[in-house]
Amino acid sequence: MPFESIFGAWVATGLTLFIFSFLYRDNPLFKLAEHLYVGVSVGYTIVKAYDTVIVHLIVKPIFEQGEFALLIPVAIGLLMLTRYMPRAAWMSRYAFAFIVGVGSGLAIPRTISSFILKQIEDTVRPVLSVAGGDGVTFTMNLLNPASNLNAVIILIGVSSVLFYFFFSIEHSGPGKVVARTGVIFLMIAFGAAFGYTVMARMSLLIGRLTDLMEFSDASYGRPTLWLLILTIAALVVISRQSSGSRPKEE
Amino acid sequence: MTFSERMLKIDRRVIFLVIGLCTLLPLLYPVGLPIRISSEVRGVYDHIESMPERSVFFLSLDFDPASKPELHPQAIALLRHAFRKNLRVVAMTLWVSGTGLADQIMTQVAKETGKENGKDYVFLGWSPGSTAVIINLGQNLYNTFPSDYGGKPTKGLPVLDGVQSLRDINYMVSLGAGNPGVEAWYVFGKDKYKFELGGGCTGVMAPGLYPLLRSGQINGLIGGLRGAAEYESLIGQKGKAVAGMDAQSATHVAIIVLVMMCNMFYFSLRQQKRLG
Repeated sequence: MPFESIFGAWVATGLTLFIFSFLYRDNPLFKLAEHLYVGVSVGYTIVKAYDTVIVHLIVKPIFEQGEFALLIPVAIGLLMLTRYMPRAAWMSRYAFAFIVGVGSGLAIPRTISSFILKQIEDTVRPVLSVAGGDGVTFTMNLLNPASNLNAVIILIGVSSVLFYFFFSIEHSGPGKVVARTGVIFLMIAFGAAFGYTVMARMSLLIGRLTDLMEFSDASYGRPTLWLLILTIAALVVISRQSSGSRPKEE
Repeated sequence: MTFSERMLKIDRRVIFLVIGLCTLLPLLYPVGLPIRISSEVRGVYDHIESMPERSVFFLSLDFDPASKPELHPQAIALLRHAFRKNLRVVAMTLWVSGTGLADQIMTQVAKETGKENGKDYVFLGWSPGSTAVIINLGQNLYNTFPSDYGGKPTKGLPVLDGVQSLRDINYMVSLGAGNPGVEAWYVFGKDKYKFELGGGCTGVMAPGLYPLLRSGQINGLIGGLRGAAEYESLIGQKGKAVAGMDAQSATHVAIIVLVMMCNMFYFSLRQQKRLG
């Protein structure tokens, strides 16, 4: 096995165990892994951004291909850096104005079209279907998202939740029933979202444990075993030191 | 202190241990619980299955190593399927921190299936601009990515033959762990340039994407590790996702039992206090 794979396995195992050690209590090993994670990800992002943006999208096209039009976006970008000079900071407003203007112009119509109009279109569905041109049907299949029963449920859900967030009328009498129905729909939505979140977090745990199991193999030098022993030993030492340094109660 | 009180004040580390064991034991001793294929995962699979050979499949790997356990198996399964169908794969990422991982996934599956870089697939890498990159791709792919991740000029690559922009691709899947991801590809890509779009996402994001699925804005959705396991089952190549499904089920059962027990002890304690 190549050295870099073995080295990578030791680093990954060690950092995973150091992070997991937080489940016992906060400790220097966890802090080390946490700071390394932040540092490495920021460093990686800076290097990648420098290589892709500065080298490949600015320097090479300008100096090797003579694309001088690129100097315009470069100048707008450089205006941002004037934020660090109080006397010239006002110039950065032009760059921000450009970004906010372009960003809003691109995002607002597309977002309204995609998320508001399309979703309204999907919500307002016929409650009854015309079958063969000579009669109306009402499909009851809960598992079919396009069934009439689901259209009714969505209609009740959307109306009651919207009413719950309508604060200009006191939620009493029939209004209270509608608002309560809205709350039930909201709770079901929150429950579904939380269930998926639990599933996602468990998937992350499964991913790390799968890697730890893989790295317990002899071909890697059993980093899981050795580093687990080392982590537990370090936690014991840290725990004893901290209990020893605690001031004795009179 | 009553039993209920003691149980409600139990050390949280005991719960961590229970969850840890419930995850570890099924990984060590898998039982192979059956996996039911959902219609949303089948939507993506069926679309790729229906594509003729050498069609252009665009894959955006919009995640970083933090979401690897969920989205890495999805990416591997999708690429295996696309390469098996002999599709031309064009891949990229909107997440700068995921560039290395995306390249590693592409290289691994291409090597495994004997595909050639530049002819059968290309990894374009990352370009700054987030959603603006999608709009640029819709106008001209070669202006957005003048060279691929390895520095090779994209113009003239056999894999991009006949492809000028997003309008020329046959199917696109975004595997997203956040923003920009599936939603951005719909809003700035499909809605404007009219191509068929499927999605893959982390479990946390899945409930937020179901409205897009129901309205037909995306034609399929692979949600979390569970979705990846379903896709692995569909292509008949079981991998890490299927292996993790027993552990997933065991931890879910453990959590349900813990929630029920907690409620039981809470109400029992309340009853005891009421009775004096």
